[in-house]
Amino acid sequence: MSGGGGIGELPRKEASVLKGHEGAVLAARFNADGNYCLSCGKDRTIRLWNPHRGILIKTYKAHGREVRDVHCTQDNSKLSSCGGDRQVFYWDVATGRVIRKFRGHDSEVNAVKFNEYASVVVSAGYDRSVRAWDCRSHSTEPIQIIDTFLDSVMSVSLTKSEIIAGSVDGTIRTFDIRIGREISDDLGQPVNCIALSNDGNCILASCLDSTLRLLDRSTGELLQEYKGHTCKSYKMDCLLTNNDACVTGGSEDGIIFFWDLVDASVVSSFRAHASVVTSVSYHPTDSCMISASVDGTIRVWKT
Amino acid sequence: MDSDEEDFVFYGTPIEREEEVTSRKKKAVAEASGLLRTLPPWKQEVTDEEGRRRFHGAFTGGYSAGYYNTVGSKEGWIPQTFTSSQKNRAEIKQQSILNFLDDDEKGEMEGRSLGTSMKFDTFGFTAAEIARKQAEKEQQQRPSIIPGPAPDELVLPATDSIGVKLLLKMGWRHGHAIKDSRTNSLYDARREARKAFLALSSDHKAAQRTGSEDVKGDLGNIVELPMDNDHQSPHSTPVYVLNPKQDLHGLGYDPFKHAPEFREKKRSRLHEDKELVNRKPLSIKDNLFAFRSGRVAPGFGIGALEELDAEDEDVYASGYAFEETYVQEIEEPTKQGVDKTKKRSGKEQGVLPGFKLASNSDYQLERFDPPVIPKDFVPCHKFPALLDMNTKFSDGSPPEIPPPEDNNLKILIEGVAAIVACCGKLFEDLSREKNQSNPLFSFLNGGDGHDYYSRKLWEERQKRNDRKKLELDGKVVLSIQKMTAESRGKILGERPLERSSKDLSSASTSSNVKLQFHLSDTFTKPESFNEVPDAAKPFRDDPAKQGRFEQFLKDKYDGGLRSKDSSGASNMSEAARARERLEFEAAAEAIRKGNWGKETSHSNQQMWDMPTTTSLQFTSAGLEKVAQVEELMKKMYPKREEFQWRPSPILCKRFDILDPYMGKPPPPPRLRSKMDSLIFLPDSTKPVKVEETAAAFTDSLSVPPPGSEDITSKEATGEFQNDVEVENVERPVDLYKAIFSDDSDDEVENSSPNQVEDPEKKNGAVSTTLNRLIAGDFLESLGKELGLDVPPDLPNSENKTRVSASQKDTVNSKRGNVDTLEVENPLIETLSSEKNRSGKVEHGKGAQVDRHRNRSSRSPVDERNRKHFRRDGHRICNSDSETTSSEDYRDLHHSRSKGREKGSSREKSSRRKHSKHRKHERGDSLSRSHHGSDKERGDAKREKRR
Repeated sequence: MSGGGGIGELPRKEASVLKGHEGAVLAARFNADGNYCLSCGKDRTIRLWNPHRGILIKTYKAHGREVRDVHCTQDNSKLSSCGGDRQVFYWDVATGRVIRKFRGHDSEVNAVKFNEYASVVVSAGYDRSVRAWDCRSHSTEPIQIIDTFLDSVMSVSLTKSEIIAGSVDGTIRTFDIRIGREISDDLGQPVNCIALSNDGNCILASCLDSTLRLLDRSTGELLQEYKGHTCKSYKMDCLLTNNDACVTGGSEDGIIFFWDLVDASVVSSFRAHASVVTSVSYHPTDSCMISASVDGTIRVWKT
Repeated sequence: MDSDEEDFVFYGTPIEREEEVTSRKKKAVAEASGLLRTLPPWKQEVTDEEGRRRFHGAFTGGYSAGYYNTVGSKEGWIPQTFTSSQKNRAEIKQQSILNFLDDDEKGEMEGRSLGTSMKFDTFGFTAAEIARKQAEKEQQQRPSIIPGPAPDELVLPATDSIGVKLLLKMGWRHGHAIKDSRTNSLYDARREARKAFLALSSDHKAAQRTGSEDVKGDLGNIVELPMDNDHQSPHSTPVYVLNPKQDLHGLGYDPFKHAPEFREKKRSRLHEDKELVNRKPLSIKDNLFAFRSGRVAPGFGIGALEELDAEDEDVYASGYAFEETYVQEIEEPTKQGVDKTKKRSGKEQGVLPGFKLASNSDYQLERFDPPVIPKDFVPCHKFPALLDMNTKFSDGSPPEIPPPEDNNLKILIEGVAAIVACCGKLFEDLSREKNQSNPLFSFLNGGDGHDYYSRKLWEERQKRNDRKKLELDGKVVLSIQKMTAESRGKILGERPLERSSKDLSSASTSSNVKLQFHLSDTFTKPESFNEVPDAAKPFRDDPAKQGRFEQFLKDKYDGGLRSKDSSGASNMSEAARARERLEFEAAAEAIRKGNWGKETSHSNQQMWDMPTTTSLQFTSAGLEKVAQVEELMKKMYPKREEFQWRPSPILCKRFDILDPYMGKPPPPPRLRSKMDSLIFLPDSTKPVKVEETAAAFTDSLSVPPPGSEDITSKEATGEFQNDVEVENVERPVDLYKAIFSDDSDDEVENSSPNQVEDPEKKNGAVSTTLNRLIAGDFLESLGKELGLDVPPDLPNSENKTRVSASQKDTVNSKRGNVDTLEVENPLIETLSSEKNRSGKVEHGKGAQVDRHRNRSSRSPVDERNRKHFRRDGHRICNSDSETTSSEDYRDLHHSRSKGREKGSSREKSSRRKHSKHRKHERGDSLSRSHHGSDKERGDAKREKRR
């Protein structure tokens, strides 16, 4: 674990640039151990990179439209991706084949996540629903449809027992499977992206009023607001650094911001991309971050 | 990709994947579920079970036979007969069910329409029908004033519905809440809490930060609060008293709506009038000049105002200072009312019958110009001794009087004096009036202890005046501003707040109980009134508002005269006033529940801030409106709500979590009442519904995706089981049916667990389950003894229809419920309309800029309603399973060629029910199996024996 939240500890130096996507890169994600990263974009491909050496390993092509989100299982054997073609793809990482295509969303799928055991893929779509798909059986029908949302669901997160999803209707809804409850936290602003803190107690929500909001998950209390960036119309990621010391996120003007978790002051901000920073992902243990942008590049940031 | 392939070395023969082997089959399935519904009908292909395109034979149509591979035509099953369009152009072909029935079926139907028998008249429809018919018959016998048949709403069934009867047996009484008080009060409390949260203060930001613990505790309190007083749930079913309409007003018109003071008067007058009429029934005067009493001839103009009340007289005549009275009436209703009646009676005597007042009399009102205001006049008035204005008599201090011996009386006097001192003379008059007969209150009329009373009153007033003077002196500098509500409140003798608790406490706290007792004639809710000074001052920080609040409380609990909206709020807009009223209601409720702690006042303080921010008419500090709104938004959100959510069992399994609802009947969804469980509704949980509605909603061609249908129907089965069992216990077990019910259902379900199951079918099957269980032993032994085989099948269609009928009924009644449940909350609404969200989220450059949805402007209330609606929608789906189920059948049929023997018995039972209707729907697949059905039946029987 890297230490406290000094500016020196933050990944601000560009280590490498991953080029290859044609057109905007919509998401970039580290894998579970942080050795590789996945990216997907408007060129309908998913790419697997080694960000540390800066090389492209594999390209996955099957999507018919832009790919909006990708997620990798803990054991790195499977991928799931989703995008404009209203399907969720379940990939085999090694062969690059699509194992299954989950159809059922009525419109674009915004986000996708595996659960801990990689047995369920949960996807969130523009059709106001969150759907859970079974990876174990051969069924291509959703095993659960949650459609209490009032508007497009932008982002989904999973814990061991909960499905958390943020929607443009301004709510973050937590579906607790253990007790069968739905907890809805209305933020009053369209929620763009949600991220769990590493201790799992807080949730960070990026809202379309150019504000990140940190909520206490147990009480639903608003703990802090982080401002300074621009986020008005793009789906942009936000997250907490791996030691929960800082909050980071991109801006529509290509700047990456770091805020202090507690006092919400901007610790650092630097121009990272020429255009909208669509996605950021933080290394699970090291002080390393990748960012993806509409300018078609993925940049790796280290201290 | 090709470059990547070079990295891998392959050995041996690749094992063909399972997916590829069955890909064609898969494609068929996928198309059935996904692709087909996106295609227009003319592009769809009909495939067989193996996914091949259906071929009808070279001479019978090739790949596309008939109308898109069906035997029908565009107009339906029967091709339209040719009619010359030249001769009769617009003859519309009417189709009815009779077109599709056989002769024998028609005969069967003849003279027998389905209806609920009296015995099972759950919702009183039959009773209502009978009552209506009765009314019609009576109508014909004696015609009434209103021509035409009586409106349905006026005719009520004579008998209670079975549900009401049951409820009554269970101890429910009319006017009580039916719902589960616990859950509901919880829900209310949460709503209350949310309301409190909505109003988070803006100018207390710092305090808020630190006091966030307080708020939390507050929330907890509120949530716990209703548990204590479950029994007096504020929401109970209204008892509708059917008052006979005795006047000639329009329906719903209330002449005293804005002048409730006169209602009482009118009633007494009416009484008198009646007596009078009784005495001389044919008063010429009344007949000739009927307009005077108004009751006989409701003409134009004043017809609606039937009584010639003070205001009503000579509406069109001049010389009546209408506006003036209006203003004054607001200030002091009683006096004015009395004056007016006096005036009126005087006037009335002067006018002879047959004459009316001249519209332009010689007598002119002399008008004077208003005085010229001196230039140095400061428009600010000090009230050095305001209460003395009301109390001319008490200028000189009454002598010191020893208190009366009777302790009770003493306390009573002191209490009344205190209240009168603070509430003004009005109160004294009021209580005097009300307690005229009460000897205890004789001191008001100069009887026993009057001297002591006047002394006390004087003392109290002195005290108050001193205090006020002090205050005013301190405030002189500030008071250059306009007359505020606060000062107006003072003129009106309202209690300003924060300082008031002291003086009353001597009287009210020590002897609160007794005083309450004695005053209980005066106040319907004395304790709440008395509590106000010492316990609850929710709006402590704004005396003017507190003043209005107390006025409100008085109005609410006094039951006496109402000086509504008079308390200086005249500069508030209607909306603001309404909002404030709502707020007051909430506060009053909280006070009544006695849980008005300091935290609540804290949060309520925030509540008060809201109107100021939304309609800044009341605060002097209305400058930073934008900032306040922002602040407000921050305080309002996030708000948390909790709902029931049911994860599907398989999801729990995949997450390695025990299903929280495993084996349990589905828990009641939001806002479920006891009523629901009483009417044996298969009230499935929300997620299930959601899934079903989703399925129904998303499939534009309404082809149900088989998998999801599978899950839902399975779940539904569980629920049905529960409910139907309950139902079954109630009614006598039909033994014969139990014995000879179709066992084949079970078989089918067991053998083909992955097949789509028909929920309605299941329903029927389940309803006999218990019967079978009970009769199981008997059946076995009977079979052994007789050495007979059990006849395989007896369709229990009767059973089914009844269940589905009851479902439909429930849906209807449900919908009514929901309608009444729709509560408009202006508070929330206005706020939510304010948030101007942009629902658009772009993906990359201009990904979906245009796809902006303004769904986000929905308020939380809407959301709740939507959920209700959704529930209904689901039920409708569920009960109308005719349509979906028939489709299920079709699906079943396609996917089941091998298992046809198994399905045949099932088909048979269903065929009887759906008759021809379905035959053509099923199309040729059925027609193939149709002619062989007899044989199949035999097959099924044989299989049974094996």
